[in-house]
Amino acid sequence: MGKRWISAALKAVCIITLTVWSIGPIALVVLSSFKEAKNIFETPYKVVFWPTTENYRTLYETGPEFFRGLVNSGLISFGAITTTIVVTFLAGYVFARSRKATHNGIAFFMLFIRMLPPIVIVIPLYPVVSYLALNDTHILLVLLYSSFYVSLGAWIMRSFIREIPIELEESAAIDGASLFQMIRMIIIPLSKPGIITVALFVFVFAWNEYVFAMIFTTSGARTAPVVIAEWLSTAEGVQWGTIFAASTIQLVPVMLIVLCLQRYLVTGLTAGAVKG
Amino acid sequence: MRHDRSHKWLLLPSLLLIIVFLAAPAIYVGWLSVHESTFGKQPVYVGLQNYARLVEDPVFWRAFWNTFFVVNGIAYGELILGLLVAVLIRDQRYGRPLLIAVILAPYAITESSGIVMWRYMLEPDVGILSTLISKIGFGTVAWSSDATATLALASLIAIWHHLPFTFLILFAALLIIPKEILEAAEVDGASRWQRFMRIELRIIIPAILIALMFRYIFAIRLFSEIWLLTQGGPARLSEVLSIYLYKETFQYREFGIASAVGWVMVLMSLAIALPYIVRMYREIARHG
Repeated sequence: MGKRWISAALKAVCIITLTVWSIGPIALVVLSSFKEAKNIFETPYKVVFWPTTENYRTLYETGPEFFRGLVNSGLISFGAITTTIVVTFLAGYVFARSRKATHNGIAFFMLFIRMLPPIVIVIPLYPVVSYLALNDTHILLVLLYSSFYVSLGAWIMRSFIREIPIELEESAAIDGASLFQMIRMIIIPLSKPGIITVALFVFVFAWNEYVFAMIFTTSGARTAPVVIAEWLSTAEGVQWGTIFAASTIQLVPVMLIVLCLQRYLVTGLTAGAVKG
Repeated sequence: MRHDRSHKWLLLPSLLLIIVFLAAPAIYVGWLSVHESTFGKQPVYVGLQNYARLVEDPVFWRAFWNTFFVVNGIAYGELILGLLVAVLIRDQRYGRPLLIAVILAPYAITESSGIVMWRYMLEPDVGILSTLISKIGFGTVAWSSDATATLALASLIAIWHHLPFTFLILFAALLIIPKEILEAAEVDGASRWQRFMRIELRIIIPAILIALMFRYIFAIRLFSEIWLLTQGGPARLSEVLSIYLYKETFQYREFGIASAVGWVMVLMSLAIALPYIVRMYREIARHG
């Protein structure tokens, strides 16, 4: 009996450690965003306290660029999600249905491309982007983020569309349906889980992306993560309270979506990574 | 099927995006790596001179070895933690969905907020963790002045961020192990530890290899964690390859050198991915 008790206690310790490791840092920042600025580094740290919206008010008054950043993040995420879904859906459909060697070759090429480290492309891209005056535009980040997720997206779509019985299309073809009609009436409604999966991956990436947004934007299309990072590396003392409020606001939408759609994350990862 | 001819048009948008934004620039970088190039000057062919300059640059080697240690630390640290957590959750009977949600949470956090969180806890003298560490007697946390500490912290943050990925892959693999095998082993008198080491671990080896490969490839790209902690400082001691590349591009405007580093990163990634690429090629060729 004693042994079982020990193993139960050990398990409980493991689960508590895991929880603290995983959401401790997040909870700490969210909690501290409701503390008075002067109490943020108090010792001992009080978990129970009278919450104040002081930091959020300061953020509202002194950080308009953060809210513009949120709008930019939203626009860019929306653009990247739409673009990626459309192009990867079409490609995934071909990969799922075609037996042609060239199409298999292209599917393989996409897998291969995923291995390249994207930071490499900034060397030639930066001068070209400046020349075309695409610097600091939403469209550039939309196209970049979409192209980063074409490979994974097309492979996820492929695995979902493959599950749809081909007989449905065959009988529709006999009835004289065009390719466009078939895709619209049969494939799109039946591949909704695949579409949601791709949308989820792209949203989490585009909403949170830092490196390319930092390199390719200055003010007009600057995203929220870049604004937060800038505030963190300021020379004249970090305003922790304001940053906590900004981080909290930034993470709420993406956290909610990840929690609601987490089962798609699991299927998407196994479809996109394990099987290929 | 009779719609086959339209297929190539459906592939076109995806291909265009990939070629314009990834394939063509990557190939151009390869070309640029054998040229001397800076702002406002025509590139001049110099052969392997850029690579020779890299080999002679101690800062490059520092960045190379930093990358080596960080990547291995992240990949294996995540693998061990991921396995522990996957087994823990697999054996958990109650509250599993809630626990999985908890584990996935860091995946939703942007890198810059992740840095905010960890810096807040480790701010010298005042952060919750740094005061705890000095109370236990490990001295002060010098993540900003000691390059080793910077790299260790960056690895820790990267592991925190990406554990959900490794966990999900390993967890999914553990779930599909047939129960009968484990039950039979139990009947034969195998202990839990033996069952794990001799049976489960062997069955999920393919998933382990895939998780490792993807983590290797993505860890080579590590940038934000170190950039937002120290920008590679002090004295360029905590740089990794991607930061070296960034600085050569945007601070020193040595596009040829930057491209050589870029090509080194590309080749490293491809070499690591080679077994996977070959396997996928065979699978595609076989099943289509």
